[in-house]
Amino acid sequence: MKPDIDALVTRIPGSVDFIQLDSAKCNQCGRCLVVCTMNLWRKRGNKVFLANDYKSRCLECGACYQVCEADAIDFHYPSGGKGVVYERG
Amino acid sequence: MKDYDIIVVGAGPGGSIAAMEAASRGLKTVFFERGRKPGEKNSSGCGLGPRMWQDFRFMTELTPDSCPSMRAGAASRSYFVNKQGVVAGYVMARPTESVSYEPAKSFITMNVYRSDFDPWLATYATNAGAELKTSTLVTGLMREDGRVTGVIDEHGEKYRGLVIGADGVVSMVARECGLRKRWGQDHVTLIPQYDYAVDPRKIDDIMGDETLAVWWSALFPAAYHVFFHDGFHIGLGNWMTWWDKNPLSYLNQVVNLEYFKRLVRILDARPREYHVHLLPWQGTPTDTHADNVILVGDAAGVPCPLEAEGIYPAMMTGRAAAETAAEAISAGDRSKEFLDLYDRKWQQTSVGEEFKTGPELAHIWRALPFSPKETMTWFVPMIMEILGGILDWSQPHAVRVRQVMRQVKSYLPQAVPFLVKEVMPLLQAILGDKMELLTSPEKLMASMPELQEAVASAFEEKEGSS
Repeated sequence: MKPDIDALVTRIPGSVDFIQLDSAKCNQCGRCLVVCTMNLWRKRGNKVFLANDYKSRCLECGACYQVCEADAIDFHYPSGGKGVVYERG
Repeated sequence: MKDYDIIVVGAGPGGSIAAMEAASRGLKTVFFERGRKPGEKNSSGCGLGPRMWQDFRFMTELTPDSCPSMRAGAASRSYFVNKQGVVAGYVMARPTESVSYEPAKSFITMNVYRSDFDPWLATYATNAGAELKTSTLVTGLMREDGRVTGVIDEHGEKYRGLVIGADGVVSMVARECGLRKRWGQDHVTLIPQYDYAVDPRKIDDIMGDETLAVWWSALFPAAYHVFFHDGFHIGLGNWMTWWDKNPLSYLNQVVNLEYFKRLVRILDARPREYHVHLLPWQGTPTDTHADNVILVGDAAGVPCPLEAEGIYPAMMTGRAAAETAAEAISAGDRSKEFLDLYDRKWQQTSVGEEFKTGPELAHIWRALPFSPKETMTWFVPMIMEILGGILDWSQPHAVRVRQVMRQVKSYLPQAVPFLVKEVMPLLQAILGDKMELLTSPEKLMASMPELQEAVASAFEEKEGSS
């Protein structure tokens, strides 16, 4: 059994970007790919990028920002009242 | 520009207590919540310990009317999962005879959904006169003449006052005031968890007053299993340095255990939500304050060094922060040096007491259930050999005892270095001078002369024994 995690998340969609990748700083260490449980980080060749639909899938844990020792990932919470809603958190 | 005495960023338990304590001292206080209501962004700690009822008298007013998810229980369970993914055994435990604090004999933890608890707690702050601003993200700190004097929200509105950063593990306040950009990777954990819906009657029938379970395993880092009125959380975590693949894949190993699936079937449980969050877990909180800024709760890194529960430490540091802020304002001195008082205050509480042996506690926990491959691969079979080995009549019982002891002995090459490296420093820190008895074999044997003889004869190979 593998619960469908997207079906288990409630969200109020927001439009403001809240994660930015500075590709010039990224050293392709790949830690963001490992720790993002939603698999929102990808690597093609030696380029890391963030999924286009991250705003509708991100759980706002901040793991990608925390784990990025190269300081290439910037993260702020989505606008007030937007984003993930945990009713049983 | 709006002027306040105290600005609290975050309306979780730390923020609400800080706001309540500040407002009840007559300080003009505002506290901010980025969600539509407090608690709807939290998937973190859910356990309220008996100590909280001692330190916060209003806790007696927590009822199912205000907090429908609450469920207290006196018993916990530890499952031991071996390398093959089999639950090799489990232990149920109630508060032991050494428990001295009376309420703790009747319950070990009251579990609550934060989506219930945090809004309830925030009403104590608003009733005390603090102003709550919901659906409002604080995006930066306001500076005047280079000094932090307040905060700025996402709409550009400015608020001047002493800033209490209660904004959680990824703290904007800590970052913007220069205290910490991010945590050391071995000071913070990542925790995915599922919430399952369960009929409350099923929980009562099947779990009784068991309220908490820990799954100790050689396959995944320790998983916690926490029961609420109508559901449970199953989650696990480890430090950022540990993960070698998607953390969710380890949690899915738990929910795929045959034993867990059986529990899900008999409880008729259904997955309801998926959460993930970071949690600071470290031995020594540092950098808790700066000029005109105090951090509390997760933002200050104060979750318990042993089991990482953060609600109580957040509330205690929230109170210490408000007291310190009140003194700073009346002294007219908001410098970092004056605010050193904050550390002295919280360190004198029972939260500070935990951190006296913080590094040792954090180490031993990390070395045990959070090192599944290194430790749990021998720890689980060793524990189960002791617990389960005797209840076996495949051989005459005396033969079985020798087999069990020989098997236990085979784990000693791993267990002894573990004791020396991880357990001894903790005992040293707690026992101090009395440690001598444990570190000097002569003194120990002198006090228990029969011990050496017993150990020697127990492990002695006898001809014909198997």
